[in-house]
Amino acid sequence: MPNHNYKKMANTIISTILITLLALLFLFPLVWMLVSSMKPEAAIYKDIGGIKAFLPSFDIGSWGTAYRELLSRFNVFIYLLNSIFYGLSVTIGSIIVNSLAGYGFSKFRFRGRKMLFGLLLALLVIPGETIIIQKFQIVRSMGILNTPLAVIFPSLAAPFYIYMFKNFFDAISDDVIESAQLEGASMFTIYWRIMLPMAKPAIATVGTLSFIGSWNDYIWPLMVLTDSNRFPLQVAITNINNTQPVYMNQVMAILTISTIPLIIVYVFFQKYLVQGLGASGTGEK
Amino acid sequence: MRSTLSARSKQAWLYVAPALLLLTLFLFVPAALSIYYSLTDYNMLAPQAKTFIGLGNYFKLFGDPIFWKSVKNVGQFVLFVMPLQVGTALGLALIVHKQRPGNTFFKISFFAPVVVSLVVTSVLWLYILNPEQGLLNGILAQFGIKAQPFLTSPTQAMFAIIGISAWQGAGYQMLIFLAGLQNIPSDVYEAATIDGANKWERFIHITLPMLKPTSVMILTTTFIDAFKLIIQPMVMTQGGPMDSTITPVYYIYRTGFTDRSLGYASAMTMVYGLAIIIFTICQRKITGGDNNA
Repeated sequence: MPNHNYKKMANTIISTILITLLALLFLFPLVWMLVSSMKPEAAIYKDIGGIKAFLPSFDIGSWGTAYRELLSRFNVFIYLLNSIFYGLSVTIGSIIVNSLAGYGFSKFRFRGRKMLFGLLLALLVIPGETIIIQKFQIVRSMGILNTPLAVIFPSLAAPFYIYMFKNFFDAISDDVIESAQLEGASMFTIYWRIMLPMAKPAIATVGTLSFIGSWNDYIWPLMVLTDSNRFPLQVAITNINNTQPVYMNQVMAILTISTIPLIIVYVFFQKYLVQGLGASGTGEK
Repeated sequence: MRSTLSARSKQAWLYVAPALLLLTLFLFVPAALSIYYSLTDYNMLAPQAKTFIGLGNYFKLFGDPIFWKSVKNVGQFVLFVMPLQVGTALGLALIVHKQRPGNTFFKISFFAPVVVSLVVTSVLWLYILNPEQGLLNGILAQFGIKAQPFLTSPTQAMFAIIGISAWQGAGYQMLIFLAGLQNIPSDVYEAATIDGANKWERFIHITLPMLKPTSVMILTTTFIDAFKLIIQPMVMTQGGPMDSTITPVYYIYRTGFTDRSLGYASAMTMVYGLAIIIFTICQRKITGGDNNA
């Protein structure tokens, strides 16, 4: 039945075109961001409304101009290093703090364990976004305002990550611990040499989620940091976007710069993200 | 045996103490402080003059038109972003679940906005939606549509934020739906096809029911997250125009941090935070406790 085949082929072509248009709907802002960061300011406005808005200029030599101008006006390298430093500190710190607690709750029997763990899970319902002002008061009274500690400390412990580690350690048999103890290993050696290496998937998931969360964090660092040399990229972005004179191509350049490291993280660690699915409903964290 | 289960117990505190200390400092104490502050007229500019005023802040709050406006705004956001974002995510998952040429490209395209932070998203769209020289009005002009005010209009601003948020977030939920779709055994479909079920019937009677646990999880987490909207209005509209995009969390931030009225902001934290806690507990009940983290 050739007629049927034509119909099927026409259907495939139409649906492919529609899906491609849909894909372009998701991509066009990002393409425009990248392309506009590589154009002179005047060319961006001139090209708006035509297909040229999404195409780079022919003058390859001028592609980096906005980036060079941006770097000469702002300490972008400092912002980038700050973001990486906060991100890695939070990642390593949260892996250690939460895995230690998960190990404590999983492999030790102590009075109040069940109650404490229940309390921990109950803490999960507190919406952190609504208590930032009070949290600011704590950090202020600790005297660590405008230091990296103010950014890092409050992001370390998370009931959800403790829960994840505890579940992971629960699945490891107590026999492993007992036979290691017979050979003279201390509980810390067992944690460090046996449990942590076995928990690599949990470490990868908690690490990836913590890094992305820290990288994207905006309001908290904005509140606790006043010295612009300590700003992470997200805070620097709005700062640059509010510093006169504002050039659109330079703004697009800082948006692109702050997105590239995350692309790398998503490409290499995406399979661990799927395991952490459900931690949050939107891409907020 | 050097150490038995009970002997280990003394060490246990060393392991759980760092996390418990941090959670107490940055989660438990701030929550407890909001109860106390909410009963005072504490202002950070005059910290010595803090006096106990009972439920004064709460009475003020219930008569505060901006607070109610913010509740109405976030209600509008939740009501529209839920079906738009979750529906889009399901549609995208169904598209990329089917094997077709270019599938990897489509999947990456739909997921791409998720990689972009909310601050980058907000600043980028600020330029796209610029009423005079923005990209979108430039494109609309090609189709003969006149320039729209978008974020500068009290009636359009929240809808612009709804659309942008769905654009940014749908790809993430697409992945969750996709995982759910891949868990549906293919022989169920084969059996239904043999029984004469068409595409639509298979979707309604197999796909949707099998996706129910995934959908409930996505809908409830999106619901609760949507109530915490702050970054998009903070960066794009500062709550305007005419308070049309101010949200409760943003209003708490402005009152407590920008205006330094900690007492009044704490009363808002109590009322709004408690509402979110109640929603979250209901969510746990609905999802049946297996998602209690």
